Amino acid sequence: MNKLTEDQIQELYKFTRAHFVYHFDLQTELVDHLANGIESLQAKNPHLSFQEALDKEFKKFGIFGFQDVIADRSKALSKKYWKIILRFYKEFFSLPKILLTLLLCVLLFIVLKETALGYQQYAITGVFLLFLIPATIKLVRYHRILKKKDRKWMLEEMLLANIGMINFIQIPIQLMNIRFEIENNYIILLLSIASITLLLLFYVMVFVIPPKAEELLEETYPEYKMMSTL
Amino acid sequence: MGNSKLYKGSLNTIILKLLEEQGKMYGYEITQKVKELTKGELNITEGALYPALHKLEAEGLLDVEVAKVDNRLRKYYKLTEQGEKETVNRLAELEEFIRSMQNLVNPDWSIN
Repeated sequence: MNKLTEDQIQELYKFTRAHFVYHFDLQTELVDHLANGIESLQAKNPHLSFQEALDKEFKKFGIFGFQDVIADRSKALSKKYWKIILRFYKEFFSLPKILLTLLLCVLLFIVLKETALGYQQYAITGVFLLFLIPATIKLVRYHRILKKKDRKWMLEEMLLANIGMINFIQIPIQLMNIRFEIENNYIILLLSIASITLLLLFYVMVFVIPPKAEELLEETYPEYKMMSTL
Repeated sequence: MGNSKLYKGSLNTIILKLLEEQGKMYGYEITQKVKELTKGELNITEGALYPALHKLEAEGLLDVEVAKVDNRLRKYYKLTEQGEKETVNRLAELEEFIRSMQNLVNPDWSIN
């Protein structure tokens, strides 16, 4: 059977890009699929040109082309991303790190307890900003790194770009507008625990996972390691 | 092509079963194998196969391997240990389903 040439393979990569597949992992899989299809069509009908065979093969994906495949791939990988987050997040709720978590909760509780009524919202906003400023700097830096890369990996973007973080910036802004006058110790404690739990989640997303991105990508994509050594 | 809607719910099980028998396979190979086994009766569409594979992979049932074959990279799927266990469960479920369907379609009216 006639095999496709290196140039034709590159042509197929271009084809997937033109059809909105921007990530190398998915491109590679689709390129191999299309190539197999084209080769077998040409084996049955040697007069069929590369382009004609490609059109025929692409039609099999239906009228939406690669859209379903892309959407479901991203759904599957966000599931994976959350599993990764959970893996590292859980550490803060088991020994020894749970001691740190508890300490942070108690500290915030004391701060809120000592703050004059009507000013507690500023204390919470302060705590969130203390985290958000370095986090934003980090995220901008990751964003730049991602932009420079030629090969995009879907999971890498999830690990480094954390689109959900943008919503997080609104929290202190919203909090500033509420006047907190909480005297009840239980409510203060609950508020401290909720804030710390949330902050730790984002700490994991911004500071714990991205430095491990390389390792996690190798675990997910066998081709990642292969491509970086080629 | 037969009524593909009837097969649709079983796509994941079909994939798991094939991988159990064949070891490792790549996407195109799976579509061809299914076509061959069902004598063209079932044609897995590309738009359904890859999402199913990616989902099974995210669930931890499949593992991936990459090899360079004829100028290009090929992604192979194989069962993980968890995947092997799950295959047994899903096949049992599918068999149970087939039995129930048979009873519904072809009820045994005799009085025992």
